[in-house]
Amino acid sequence: MLRQLQQIAQWFDDRLHLTKLFASTAGHRVPKSSGSWFYVFGSGTMLCLMLQLVTGTCLAFVYVPSADEAYTTLEYLTYEQPLGWYLRALHYWGSNFMLGIMSLHMAQVFLFGAYKYPRELTWITGVLLLFVTLGLAFTGQVMRFDQDAYWGLGIGTAIMGRVPVIGAQLVNLMLAGPIIAGETLSRFFTLHVFILPGTILALIGVHLRLVLTKGINEYPKPGVPVRRETYVEEYETLVEKEGVAFVPGAISKDLYFSAFVMLAIATCAAVFGPKGPEGVPDPTYIQTAPQPDFLFLWVYSVAALLPPYTETVVLLVGPAVGVLALLALPFISNTGEKSARRRPVAVLTVLVAFLGLGLLTWAGLTSPWSPHMQAWTSDPTPVAFVKGRSPLELQGALVLQNKQCRNCHALDGVGGHRGPDLSTVATRLTRDQLVRQVIQGGGNMPAYGKNLSPAEVDALVAFMMTLHPANELPARDATLSVRRSP
Amino acid sequence: MDFDALYRSQCAGCHSRDGRLAAARPLNDPTYLAFVDPTALRRVISEGVPGTSMPAFSQKRGGLLTDAQIDVLVDRLTEATPGVRIALKLPPYSAPLGDATRGAMVYQTFCSKCHGAEGRGGPNGQSIVDPAYLSLVSDQALRTAVVAGRIDLGMPDWRGYVPGRVMSPQEVSDVVAWLASQRPRQPRPSTP
Repeated sequence: MLRQLQQIAQWFDDRLHLTKLFASTAGHRVPKSSGSWFYVFGSGTMLCLMLQLVTGTCLAFVYVPSADEAYTTLEYLTYEQPLGWYLRALHYWGSNFMLGIMSLHMAQVFLFGAYKYPRELTWITGVLLLFVTLGLAFTGQVMRFDQDAYWGLGIGTAIMGRVPVIGAQLVNLMLAGPIIAGETLSRFFTLHVFILPGTILALIGVHLRLVLTKGINEYPKPGVPVRRETYVEEYETLVEKEGVAFVPGAISKDLYFSAFVMLAIATCAAVFGPKGPEGVPDPTYIQTAPQPDFLFLWVYSVAALLPPYTETVVLLVGPAVGVLALLALPFISNTGEKSARRRPVAVLTVLVAFLGLGLLTWAGLTSPWSPHMQAWTSDPTPVAFVKGRSPLELQGALVLQNKQCRNCHALDGVGGHRGPDLSTVATRLTRDQLVRQVIQGGGNMPAYGKNLSPAEVDALVAFMMTLHPANELPARDATLSVRRSP
Repeated sequence: MDFDALYRSQCAGCHSRDGRLAAARPLNDPTYLAFVDPTALRRVISEGVPGTSMPAFSQKRGGLLTDAQIDVLVDRLTEATPGVRIALKLPPYSAPLGDATRGAMVYQTFCSKCHGAEGRGGPNGQSIVDPAYLSLVSDQALRTAVVAGRIDLGMPDWRGYVPGRVMSPQEVSDVVAWLASQRPRQPRPSTP
């Protein structure tokens, strides 16, 4: 019986050369030092991709990529299809984890000098993989055709439209027309489901091929620099002397890590669920403060915090410089020390990059520059600001709520934070200055003159004149007494 | 649909939470809730009161609430009304304006002790004849204030202005007419 089975296996192997294939791929010899916990992020990223392919295919069974029906199918998937919400959650968290682990992989490769001679092309395909993955994340966000997706796409388009000379053509190409319309979603669906996944698989093919031909980076030792003349020889000797077969010699930590990643994704998906869908993608509905997905929050922060006159330059030149720097890196520092212990600038670069991205993401999460669209009806005027006020001043407090001043201005820290907190505004502006500011706006504040009746301005300013600490007088125009005296 | 969630997200901004002191009347005052007419309340929530700070909440008027959500708000706010209304012998919710001249005397009897002889403010109450203030409140809001008071601001209701003397429905209508007559007829030219 066993003999017969062996014969059958042999018959197939004679024709398919599976043993040889195994020996030259999974069984290829790697430096023993690469069986380290630092080397698990690449396979972790690939595992996420596999998960994305499977869950994405399942989602495509139900999803209808049309502007009319996308939202309905999303709601169906989320609320009616058994476990549909979990499928969406897995796909959403899979993408977050994929980019997260990918950044760790990239940081590790950078810190371990693995991009240096002779693995330049491995790094470059990796960078391309990063861009394709970011493209997948962005197009995926558009697939969730809700308010956030709609406005996210609008912002992406607005950035594209700033490209000199060919801006309009680029927008046309991206949206299949000048505006977000029926064909836009089909276009993004094709990108998300056919073009980008195809590209990513092809690139992974090259990436892994390069891992086989140029070998995996040995764990760098301080004081052992890369020399173009001797490196290949040294590496081959190393692999021959103390190399192990990747399977089964070095794969165990990858498997543990993969299991952990799967568990983490499954847990996050179960605990936090899928993202959205938020409100209907209706451009006439302005009671919304759209935010991009977590991964793009830092871009959102950059766009929000940039001084207006730098926007075009930073948004267009910035990415180009970043891309070029990443692609040029292996040629700029082609040889020399690999160990992070001897490369302080590399360590600082990684720290600054992660800190910067982290802080910008944090800023994006709190987004103090966005108005709080619900503040005017849901944040009560603090009691201390109402106590002892006259009927007129109380009307002013109502105007402040009803005209949605609260959406941008906090009282006692509660409300929007786009404009200054008004709790002590009377100490900063005189009555006349308040009237002028309300009517004419200025300093990023719109003019409200046309939206307020004279009585409303009177009431509002009367109320704001009461907003000063008990022991501090309101601001007054020092020239008034001079002007009145003869 | 949850009344509390609706109230907290849509009403609390002006009418405060848990009946605390607020810019607009807290909506848990039993006297007011007994006084207000449910039909009028529904209309005010749906359509707002033009010229005042009460916005329209109905989706038909550009607000965010469906008719069903407005029903939840009105029903819950007025559920205890009928019994209290009879027990308190409240003046009617709405009535035509009375006589302003008589209203001036009614004012002296019931209101001047706090709001001053001319309504410009006194020891316990502030000006209620400020032109901008009167421009921003409706006659009905004045009537409601006279009858139901503002318990959160320390203003008594129609039974409590003069000890032992309840305002009659006619006196209420007259004093509201006097207040309304103080309102500037023409909108003033725009503020500088």
